[in-house]
Amino acid sequence: MPTEPQAGNAGPRGPAIPLARWASRQLDALARETGSAGLAALDGPTLLGERGSNGGYVINGKVSAGLGGSRLLPTRDGRWFALTIIREVDRELLPALFGEPDLDIRDADAIAAAVLRHDADELLERGRSLGLPVACSDERPKAGAVEIMTRGAARQRPAGHKALVVDLSAIWSGPLIGHLLWQTGMDVVKVESPTRPDLIRRDDPATFDLINQGKANVLIDLADARQKAELVALIRRADIVIESSRPRALRHLGIDADVLVREVPGLVWLSVTGHGATGEPANWVGIGNDCAVAGGLSRALVEITGEIGFVGDAIADPLTGIIGAREALRAYRSGEAQRIGLSMSAIVATALAEERAFDPGLLEAELRAWGEATGKRFPCIPRRALLAEVRQPGADTRRYFPHLAPC
Amino acid sequence: MKPGTRLKSAACDTEVMVIRCADGQIECGGAPMGEAKPAEAAPLAADFSAGTLMGKRYVDADGKYELLCVKPGKGSLSVDSVALVVKDAKPLPASD
Repeated sequence: MPTEPQAGNAGPRGPAIPLARWASRQLDALARETGSAGLAALDGPTLLGERGSNGGYVINGKVSAGLGGSRLLPTRDGRWFALTIIREVDRELLPALFGEPDLDIRDADAIAAAVLRHDADELLERGRSLGLPVACSDERPKAGAVEIMTRGAARQRPAGHKALVVDLSAIWSGPLIGHLLWQTGMDVVKVESPTRPDLIRRDDPATFDLINQGKANVLIDLADARQKAELVALIRRADIVIESSRPRALRHLGIDADVLVREVPGLVWLSVTGHGATGEPANWVGIGNDCAVAGGLSRALVEITGEIGFVGDAIADPLTGIIGAREALRAYRSGEAQRIGLSMSAIVATALAEERAFDPGLLEAELRAWGEATGKRFPCIPRRALLAEVRQPGADTRRYFPHLAPC
Repeated sequence: MKPGTRLKSAACDTEVMVIRCADGQIECGGAPMGEAKPAEAAPLAADFSAGTLMGKRYVDADGKYELLCVKPGKGSLSVDSVALVVKDAKPLPASD
């Protein structure tokens, strides 16, 4: 294992990320199903660990790796509450979360003390009403990992048809689905809004480039009725759509996924969510680290090691990327239009259960080694070379939307 | 009234969570909001019937009040008869 010191990141490397072997098995199966050399060249340790490796992340126990926006905090009733604050505006919600108007919202110790004054269920319910990404280590995901929400007519595609993927998603899991589909030879168009770009490009360009390379890039202002109509027309020509909005956000924009799936034969629509795409959980916010907690991974760690902590780096994101690509490819091959809801927390729970059934001893050893590695750097993953250009925002708008005046 | 209090509209289905507040009267559809729903619904005032949107944060011009809509309805929100406006949402910066 390479041990060369890097500026500011010197220190020993930690062990393999638990569930990386599960991810490798899913990728192997997918590569066999599709015959894709691109997928065959990827593995679980790479997809789960490349961000942490490239970023020099440290295994941080009760604080998430990298940005450190997620923390596991004990509650009054002796449970563990995961609170994630990644936008400064979310701090303004903390007095409401705790019902404490005078809370010092900038002080991590004051926030931890407030968590300790409340029971976990109360914080979970109020946090989810407030739209905060919150989780408890002992909750069970409400939704299934993969749920078919709507079905539509089938479409026969000619041999050699080149699939078109419209990727409306942002951050990590959705774009990774698009990346894996691109690896199988599909055309992928990444859609961004000039007012709400995918901020990973700015905040973590190395990861952005890896998972968005080779995608065309179009800028569409969804507040503009004409541009939105052009986007809907593109979706009607597409084979697969990837989207990670909360359902009401789509509705507010006037894009009805269920209607499109019923009207467009063969259209596969993936809705990536934190905790489920239907019912009450559809309104909950969830991102990579808190969804791993909700999926039971931190509980598995504490059961083995006696110490709670985060496992991996926003691990629900890459696991969902892999499962999303698998479900998209299977649905596409079936030819049948369908809307597929993916729950990140339930995908973590499924991966954990399957890995436990596959080799309980090895999983236990990996969790123990991970728990003992607190303070060490993430395992070293050889940096993937880029295989294609990373297109600038809007570089392909005119190609895909020739009728739109240049903005 | 303190942050975290859940208020119900007397005139429609709207429910809000109080994020920030002062001593004024919080209203929906032109009628005062309360922690319990009144036995008899209040009429929906025409001036306050633009509707609320789930998940939106509503603020006043001075930044003293902020309400999060947790259940949408036909009324619109006000404090002491002055309408509140929607606060712009911020995108997520990175995955964590």
